[in-house]
Amino acid sequence: MATVADSGTAVRRPSGAAPPPVWNRRRREALAGYAFVAPDLLGLMMFVGLPMVLAIGVSLFNADGFGGYTYVGLDNFRQMAGDTQLWQSVRVTVTYTAAFVPIGFVVSLGLALLVRDHFPGVGLVRTLFFVPHVISLVVVGIAWQFLLVDKQGAVPTLLRPVGLGDTSFLGDPSLALGSLVAISIWFLMGYNMLILLGGLKDIPKEYEEAAAIDGAGAWQNFRHVIWPLLRPTSFFVLVNSVVGSVTGLQAFDLVYVLTQGGPAGSTSSVVFYIYQQAFTFNDHGYAAALTTVVVGFLVAATATMFGLTKGGRFDAG
Amino acid sequence: MSAFARVTRRSLLRGGAVMLGSAAAAPLLSACGGGGQGGNPKELTFWNFYGPNPQPDAQSKWFTDLAAQWNANNEVKVKLHYMPVTEYLAGRALQTAFSAGEGPDIFLLSPGDFLRYHNGGVLTDLTPYLGPDQIADFADGALDTRKVDGKVYGLPMEREPLAVFYSVDAFEQAKLSEGDLPKTWDQLLDVAGKLTSKDRFGLLFETIPGYYQNFTWYPFMWMAGGSAVPENGGPGFDSPAVHSALKLWQDGITAKVCPRKPQGDGGTDTPANLGAGFAAMQQTGIWGVSQLAQNNAQNNKDFRYGVFPLPVPEGGTYTTSVGGWAFVANAKGANPEAAAKFIAWALGANDAEGVERGRRWNTVVKANLPARTSVQEAAKSAGAFDDPALKVFLDKVVPGSRGEPRYTPEVYKAVSDAIQATQLGGADPAKAAADAAAKIDTFLKGYKGAAML
Repeated sequence: MATVADSGTAVRRPSGAAPPPVWNRRRREALAGYAFVAPDLLGLMMFVGLPMVLAIGVSLFNADGFGGYTYVGLDNFRQMAGDTQLWQSVRVTVTYTAAFVPIGFVVSLGLALLVRDHFPGVGLVRTLFFVPHVISLVVVGIAWQFLLVDKQGAVPTLLRPVGLGDTSFLGDPSLALGSLVAISIWFLMGYNMLILLGGLKDIPKEYEEAAAIDGAGAWQNFRHVIWPLLRPTSFFVLVNSVVGSVTGLQAFDLVYVLTQGGPAGSTSSVVFYIYQQAFTFNDHGYAAALTTVVVGFLVAATATMFGLTKGGRFDAG
Repeated sequence: MSAFARVTRRSLLRGGAVMLGSAAAAPLLSACGGGGQGGNPKELTFWNFYGPNPQPDAQSKWFTDLAAQWNANNEVKVKLHYMPVTEYLAGRALQTAFSAGEGPDIFLLSPGDFLRYHNGGVLTDLTPYLGPDQIADFADGALDTRKVDGKVYGLPMEREPLAVFYSVDAFEQAKLSEGDLPKTWDQLLDVAGKLTSKDRFGLLFETIPGYYQNFTWYPFMWMAGGSAVPENGGPGFDSPAVHSALKLWQDGITAKVCPRKPQGDGGTDTPANLGAGFAAMQQTGIWGVSQLAQNNAQNNKDFRYGVFPLPVPEGGTYTTSVGGWAFVANAKGANPEAAAKFIAWALGANDAEGVERGRRWNTVVKANLPARTSVQEAAKSAGAFDDPALKVFLDKVVPGSRGEPRYTPEVYKAVSDAIQATQLGGADPAKAAADAAAKIDTFLKGYKGAAML
C-alpha cells in the first residue's frame, strides 16, 4: 500500500504495518503528567517564580516605597557586608535552625514510632499530636503568649513551686529564642510525625521480622533496618525543616506575634529583619536584595544536600 | 501534528520562563511610573482604623456620620475604608499600597511616622485650605510636628498625653495612700517595689520594641535634659541625661518590679495589665480612661484607679509626650485638592458644627484632650473634664508637655535598639547610648529631609 505525501512524493510502507500512532502511550502519559502538574506549576510561577524574578529586579534599584526607583546596580548587595544588624539576625536564624531542626526531627520521629503500631485509641492520639498544626500560627502565638506571660501565665504559675515563677520566657533574651524553638516544635511535630509515619508504614514488616528471628533487639532493629529505609523520608523532613526555619511561617509569624524581634533583638530572624527593612525603613531595594541572597542560599544548600545524599537515598548507584 | 504533542519538558520550561519574564517586566515598569493619580477623582478613599467597623461602636459611627455629612453636601464623595488597628499600625497594607502607587487619598498618620511619608513626597500642603484663624485655633504645639517650613501637612484629631495610671486597691493593699504617689524617679522605683507581689508587678513600662515604646521613653530622656538628635547645640544621644533615662528603665527590670513581657497589647492596654491586676502602676496614655470605663461597663466591674504625672529626676524639669493621630492627604492621589478640603472641613471648621464635631470626638466617643482651643473650651463648658482622671490630665499632665517627636526610621531604630539593649539585654547604658549615637550621627551626615523635632 502506498500513501502520497503533500509534496506528491510517494512514501512506501511495509505492507500490513499500522500507521505510527500520534498519541502513543508515552505521549499520553506525558500529557497527563503535565496536566496534573499544571495547576501547581501555575501557582508556583505566579506566587513564587514571579515574585522571585521581581525581587531580583527590584534589588538593583533604590526603591523608596513611594514609587521612586533609582538604579544602583549591586550597591544593595555590597551594603550587606557592613550591616552588623543583618549578621546579628543571621546568628539568630542559624541558632534557631541548629536547635529546631534536630530537636524537632527527633521529637517527630519519636512520636511517629510511638503511634506506628495499632493500639486502642491510636487514631485519637495521632489526631491530638497533629491538631496544633491545623491552628493558625497567629492564634498559636497569642495562645502561647497567654500561657507564658510573666508571673500570671500558666507556665510560670506551674513552675513557681520549683522557684521559677519569676522566669520571663518571652522577655528574657537568653530564653526568648529557646521559647520560640519549643513553640515551633510543638506546632510542627504533628505534621512531621505524619510524614515520618508514612515512611515507617512503607517499610515491609518482613524485614523487621527477619531481623527479630536473627536476634536483633529494638535498638538494632531501628539502627540497621528502620533507619536506613527511612532515609529518603527523613531527608525530606530535614530539608523541609531547614527551609522552614529560615523562611517558613514560624520564622516570621511567631516572631511578629510574640516578640517583635525582641527582647533586645534576640529573636530578630533574617526574614523579620527583611520585613523591617521593607516596611519600617522603606528600603525595598535592600529588602529585595536580602531576599534574593536568602533564596539563593537556600537553593544552593538544598541542591548540595540533594547532591551529597543522592536525593536522600544515600547509597543509590 | 497536534499542538499538544509538541509540548516537551524543555519547551514547557522555555515557555514558562518567557511568560515569567514578561509578567515580571510589566509591573516593574509600571511601578517605576509611580503615583496614584489613576484613582477616581470624584471618590476619595479614606483609610482609617475606626469605621465602618464590622462591630459598630461610637467611634465608628462618628466616622461614618462624618463621611455621610460631607457626601450629602459635596460633589466629590468620601469612601471610608476600615482596617483593624493592628493591621494599620503594622504598616504593611498602607506601605504596600503606596509602593504600588495606589495609596489612599486620605489616611491617618502619627507624628512618629510623619517624616517617612513627608520625605517620600506624598503629603499634601493643607495650608491653602485653612484660614489663619483656623490654624491659630490649634493649641500650643499641636501642629508643630505636622509642619514643615511653616506649611501644615496634617491636622491632628486629638492630643494624647502620657501619665501613670495606678490601682487604688493595690495602693491600699500595700498600705500606701495618695500622699505616697511618687514624684521622683527614686520614689517611683521605691513605690513600685512596695507594690510588687508574687503575682503582680509594681510598675509597667512598655517592653515591646517599636515606635510606641520609644514614644513612652522619650519623656524620661527629655526630663533628664537629653535628646535623640542634637538640639540647640546639645550633645545628641550620647549624654549623661540619656544614660540616666536608660538606666531608670533598666533598674525597673533588674529590681524585678517591672515585667519583661506585659499582657495583651502591652503598654497601650490598660484593662489587660492595670485592670487585670498584672501591674499596680502603668505608664500609658489618656486613652486608658475610656479603656477602663469600657472595661468596667462590659464586665460590670468597679475598678478604681487614679492618674499622676510622670515623676521627675532630681534636678530635672517635668514634661511628657503628647501623641495623637492626624488626617493627611495623599499628594499623589487622584484629587489632592478635594482631599485637603475635606480634612480642613472635618477637623478645622471653626463654625458651631465643626466645634461640636470635635467636642464629640474628643470627649464623648473618646477620652482625649482636644487639639483645638475652641473645642477644648466647648468640652469644658459641657463638663467633660469633671471626670477626676481627665481633670488630672488637663490640669497637671499637659502643662509643660511636648509633642510626640518626629524622627526618621533610622533614628527611631537606633534609639529603640538602645532602649532594648539596656532595658532587657542588660547592656551598659553608656555603651548602648554611644552605639546609638554613632548610628544617628552617621545617618544625620547624609540626611536631607525635613527637620526632626
